[in-house]
Amino acid sequence: MSILVLIRLTLRELSSKVTMYILAGISTLVLIGLALAVSVDSMADGEVLKLFGQQVSPPVPLEELAKAVQQMQAGLAGGLFTGIILFGVFATAGVIPDTLERGTVDLYISKPISRWELLLGKYCGAVAAIGLNIIYFLAGAWLVFGLRCGVWDANLLLSALTMTFMFAALYALVVFFGTWTRSTAASIILTYLYLFILGGILHNREFTLYLISENTIYRSVIDGLYYLFPQISGMQENGAKQIMQVEMDWKPFLQSFLSGSVFFLAAAVILKRRDF
Amino acid sequence: MHALECEQLTKVYRSGLRNKREIRALQEVSISVESGQIFSLLGPNGAGKTTFVKILLSLTHPTGGRALVLDHPVTESRVRRRVGYLPENHRFPGYLTGEQVMTSFGSLAGVTRSALPGRIDQLLTLVGMQEWRKVKVRKYSKGMMQRLGLAQALVNDPDLVFLDEPTDGVDPVGRKEIRDVLRNLREQGKTIFLNSHLLSEVELVSDRVAILDKGKLLKVGTVEELTTTESSYTIGCQGPLPESLRTEAEARVLGVTMSAEGVVANVTDPAALNAVIDLLRKHGVLITSVTPQRNTLEESFISLIKREIPS
Repeated sequence: MSILVLIRLTLRELSSKVTMYILAGISTLVLIGLALAVSVDSMADGEVLKLFGQQVSPPVPLEELAKAVQQMQAGLAGGLFTGIILFGVFATAGVIPDTLERGTVDLYISKPISRWELLLGKYCGAVAAIGLNIIYFLAGAWLVFGLRCGVWDANLLLSALTMTFMFAALYALVVFFGTWTRSTAASIILTYLYLFILGGILHNREFTLYLISENTIYRSVIDGLYYLFPQISGMQENGAKQIMQVEMDWKPFLQSFLSGSVFFLAAAVILKRRDF
Repeated sequence: MHALECEQLTKVYRSGLRNKREIRALQEVSISVESGQIFSLLGPNGAGKTTFVKILLSLTHPTGGRALVLDHPVTESRVRRRVGYLPENHRFPGYLTGEQVMTSFGSLAGVTRSALPGRIDQLLTLVGMQEWRKVKVRKYSKGMMQRLGLAQALVNDPDLVFLDEPTDGVDPVGRKEIRDVLRNLREQGKTIFLNSHLLSEVELVSDRVAILDKGKLLKVGTVEELTTTESSYTIGCQGPLPESLRTEAEARVLGVTMSAEGVVANVTDPAALNAVIDLLRKHGVLITSVTPQRNTLEESFISLIKREIPS
């Protein structure tokens, strides 16, 4: 019950922020652009997929057109993935620091709710807000591809779950940084530092950090660090695989779930010990 | 029955490198508050009043000691279903209306969905905010925020209410209304724990008062006990005082001042007071009353704090 109230409050909080409207506005603009740009033309030797009037696939029989559309959808999902990282984190990073501000946190903790419930409610609210944006965008794209190309592919809709899961794993990291620093700016900077610098270095550790030393313990620590963080690139690949109807690799799901749980628990421990 | 009980409550904040810098916010404070009372905690800035309340609401963890709220350890979150709190400088989310604040925080406080509308109506009327219920709180003045904060603190019909500076920013009429609300709550058997700088107001409503300074509990008692001076008495007399009395009193250094209304005796013990009375009777003065002199709460508070400064 309390968690549902907190989720509703967080959704209200985020819906009052300009960044969420910008996010929804960008999604709408992309969908309108997509609706205007994508089309299917019938030619003598088959059907062709066109983007802004330019042919982007060779002529294929109608039943094989779906493959070309799926490729385009996978590219679109990749763009959405980047958008979630850039705007989703930016729009929601303030949720925890704002809650923990003096004068606000007192109102929450003095109620009969535990601190981990407060954290969970706020976390779920922010993930739900971004999840709704993802669903809005992918459902819109599904309609556009269905209406303009005649391809009604449920996998595009299902990929919303993968995307939301990926954001949920990443957001646990944001919540950890937000609880630890109690600063929106610091949690955004630290998350982006991981995503754009540390994440890349760890992902390519064989060509970067491994070169520093051949010591097994050192390399195990580096491996541990790599698996500690959510497997963002693996999840991105899974999103594309899902749309392309290729078998997904479940390891990134499991690792990201464990990583998200670890960071969320760490945030809960920090919050439990903190004096306000 | 005690609404609140704490023993040897201690809080030490540590900061700096290796936590070497210590701030002793509370030092072995023991207070108990009977149910159905208005209890006020007074103290200068930094005395530890807010830390004390925050420990009782589990916002801050004590370093030592024990605290019970409504017979439950403060760490049990479910006990807070029966507790209300108005924090100092509270910040309600600006994107909510007054009514939404009440609904959201009422639900968090455990009020059932069916009971909420009636309760919200009743409380917003009580604090004079009914016509502002649909307005976003970011447009509220400080006084309006305090009124809404008070309504929010009472939304779950709590048995114990903590109010931190409830009249801060409220106009004189509003203050009177808030005092009336507090008295009304006491009549209903609720316990109110008040933190306030406004000593004149505390004096008007409190049953018992505690004075805290630098984390130490200096005194606890009723307003009367705290404002009664133990060393000064007004002795009412009938008729004019003879000049011989003045001369003898000065010669014996009895510490008396005389006026048309009577005699004020500044004495160190009851024996000295009796010596003054004996002197008056010896000179044929008819005594009509002997009354201990009372200070205002503010005077008592300042004198108590000043007495502590050398230590």
